[in-house]
Amino acid sequence: MTMTRPVIVGAGVDRVDGPLKVAGAAPYSSDIDLPGMAHVALVRSTIAAGRVTRLDTGAAEQLPGVLAVLTHHNAPRLATGPATNLGPTPPPPLQDDRVRHHGQYLAVVVAEKPYQASAAARAVTVEYEREEPVLRIEDPAGEVRTDPFGMDSARGDSAGALAAAEVVHEATYVTAENTNNPLGLFATVAQWSGGRLTVHDATQWTSNTCQTLAQMFGVPESAVRVHAKYVGGAFGSGLRVWPHVVLAVMAARTVGRPVKLVLSRPEMFTGVGHRPNTVQSLRLGAARDGRLVAIEHEALQTVAMDDENMEPVASASASAYACPNVTTRDRQRRLNIPCPGSMRAPGEAQANFALESALDELSYLLDMDPLDLRLRNYAEVQPQFGLPWSSKALRECYQVGAERFGWSRRDRRIGAMRDGRWLVGYGVAGVSYLWWQVHCEARATVGRDGTAYVRSAATDIGTGTYTVMRQLSAELLGLELDQVRFDLGDSDMPWSPQAGGSGLTGALGNAVHAACRELIRAFLRTVVNDSASPLRGCTIDDVTVSGGRIHHRADGKLGESFVAILARHGLDELTADGVSDPPDPQEVGLAPAGAFAAKFVEVHVDPELGLLRVPRVVSVVDGGRILNEKLARSQIIGATVGGIGQAILEETVTDPRTGRIANANLGDYLVAVNADIGEIDVTFVGEPDRLTPVGTKGVGEVGLPGTAAAIANAVHHATGKRIRSLPITIDELLD
Amino acid sequence: MSQDPHHPPPDPGTVRLTLSVNGAEHELRLDSRVTLLDALRDELGLYGTKKGCDQGACGACTVLVDDRRVLSCLTLAAQCEGRQVSTIEGLSADGRLHPLQEAFLRHDGFQCGYCTPGQIMSAVALLREGRTGTDDEIREFMSGNICRCGAYPNIVAAIREVAGEGAR
Repeated sequence: MTMTRPVIVGAGVDRVDGPLKVAGAAPYSSDIDLPGMAHVALVRSTIAAGRVTRLDTGAAEQLPGVLAVLTHHNAPRLATGPATNLGPTPPPPLQDDRVRHHGQYLAVVVAEKPYQASAAARAVTVEYEREEPVLRIEDPAGEVRTDPFGMDSARGDSAGALAAAEVVHEATYVTAENTNNPLGLFATVAQWSGGRLTVHDATQWTSNTCQTLAQMFGVPESAVRVHAKYVGGAFGSGLRVWPHVVLAVMAARTVGRPVKLVLSRPEMFTGVGHRPNTVQSLRLGAARDGRLVAIEHEALQTVAMDDENMEPVASASASAYACPNVTTRDRQRRLNIPCPGSMRAPGEAQANFALESALDELSYLLDMDPLDLRLRNYAEVQPQFGLPWSSKALRECYQVGAERFGWSRRDRRIGAMRDGRWLVGYGVAGVSYLWWQVHCEARATVGRDGTAYVRSAATDIGTGTYTVMRQLSAELLGLELDQVRFDLGDSDMPWSPQAGGSGLTGALGNAVHAACRELIRAFLRTVVNDSASPLRGCTIDDVTVSGGRIHHRADGKLGESFVAILARHGLDELTADGVSDPPDPQEVGLAPAGAFAAKFVEVHVDPELGLLRVPRVVSVVDGGRILNEKLARSQIIGATVGGIGQAILEETVTDPRTGRIANANLGDYLVAVNADIGEIDVTFVGEPDRLTPVGTKGVGEVGLPGTAAAIANAVHHATGKRIRSLPITIDELLD
Repeated sequence: MSQDPHHPPPDPGTVRLTLSVNGAEHELRLDSRVTLLDALRDELGLYGTKKGCDQGACGACTVLVDDRRVLSCLTLAAQCEGRQVSTIEGLSADGRLHPLQEAFLRHDGFQCGYCTPGQIMSAVALLREGRTGTDDEIREFMSGNICRCGAYPNIVAAIREVAGEGAR
């Protein structure tokens, strides 16, 4: 079978969920309203470490509208959730009297109205036995976990190569804690009915939420259904089943009514993960001609006392450049903090800042153009395994980017470029994003009316999954876009992995590909002995599809429509399932490649006021096959905006004495607003990836890393100041 | 713990008011603490207006009151008696999308869509305020509406296009 309608895929089709979204009619979980629904508010710890000695709920229970107050005294005991490919499920809440971080949930109030629940939550009084919290990443009182991911790597002899290197650069880089802050407040609506549980949740992974709640509450998975049709952003914070989801389900069971729990913005800082801060030491050794002879990258990050976060940082440096001697080490320090979690480009956002800043510094030691230094050390093959990449157009990213940006106009001297009172700097960074793909399932149906219905339990968190999977399904079945419905966001649909790790489009796209092929096979099986069918005896390799018909490859007239086959055989529909699994790299002899990107940035710095502006970012991305250029471009634009936030604005500040987050609101935690963003130029290069039939490489995250490093490098070019700590703030830029 | 519904205690904090939303009048009896945002969502079932922070910092709850944009999370419902409230639901009430809604769609001025009703209501006001002369002006006067997905350049393009049509 061949694909004959490339026009549907790749084209800039408008978002199919767009009309609902611009009308305010897309129902997010916080918009779900069920008859008889009660509302939940949470009581959080005001210390970071210790024990609850007394919890007085008497006053709260007497307030108007209050239905129940749950604490560790009366909450049901829950089983632990399953382990996933991201590590364990967060421990179930309200199981004991221990306090492990500021903001930990201590009680749940259920009331008729949301404001009654909030008022009652404020009336709960808590007494504590305080312990000294461990709060700072450098505090030796916190246990350090060595190689927590089992991904530390070493090839060659980096220490020996550094000792012998002609040029050595060594420095420490620091990145701040960032908080995902999707604009959609996370909300869970839970309803128990006859032993069955229905949940509407802001999750990136309905299949896992279903499995986790089933296991924790001791019911079969078939009795749990999780919906996430629309998610108001997440950026990684919806990958895990956080305690508030469990508490909503617990509250619904306790009061025997549906309940809604909407997190407040301050609660979004303590309950749904955040990007951990890091301290990273980099050592680069090079020959005079710029060839890297050694890379040593060691990263320390934070993690909670009682939970885990799968976030390799340093290990990303093992595959970025051709270098014979590389050592990477990851460490985690346990602190009394809310557990960190994935945030758009987890690990790589921090690692890339350190590595790409260090390379820029090395380029000055070598008196070499920083772009030339990167090309000099281009990894033609995957440097850890020596296998050819399944696709790599990073060189083209650099070349096209340099041209679009006007890199040749860069005056290499520090502080030599000006625009009025502004110092102008140009900076560059490269990005080699890691590959991630896991098992995924999808189901495809074609009915008597000739339309298709394709579905999977996956989620669309704004990435465009609804749209691109509809395009892909239409292409694979030879139908028009309006003849295909693609649905998702329901755990009763075939199992899907998380919308995360830039892996969903690949995993789901290949599952949809498999399901559509299986469906065509099902049609061919139906007519295999059908003397009335021109397709009698055909295999899938003999045919192709277009215009709602299956027909011989060689002769378009020799075929018939889905509708005709179904009608003649008295069938209402045919359905088929498809599965995709990641290929084994050794078996195919290719190193699976993630996306690649080059980032070019112009900054303007006012040296008297310390102002830093980013008027222009040029991104060139190798994302493999692009299913919808309009939506893919939006992914890169959005991630670049996130990267600008990481670079110059975003920092979650924890009080080092109490563990309270001091800026847990959108007034004090700064994110990029419209006026912070200038021209964002995006270009895609490269070819479909060879590893999978669909040929995509995820583009949800690759746009973020590289932004901060390129900005810091441009700031150095403009001012001579080397800022090795994010975010870059005004005080660091004042003369 | 719950009250006897047949004998509710006298509640001095309750107010009665008539709220005019998208041209329709609603008689409400509300706790005086209820914000315009919560009244729209929880009392009238108008879920198009979103809660992003409940602290006046994100703009997701932007609606028009007497044609001026306000943050409905910082406005008490009781303050809106006798005033005209316009929400995203009223923009396409006749079933046809407003030109700004169409432009947001065409320019992909959103991703997750959660901030979008607030962005569009702000943009409606922006056109009336005459703050669409340049891209920089649009950027500045749309900066009260956070888009965490980072669709800002596309939002500016959508507003620029509609402003340009108005000028012709």
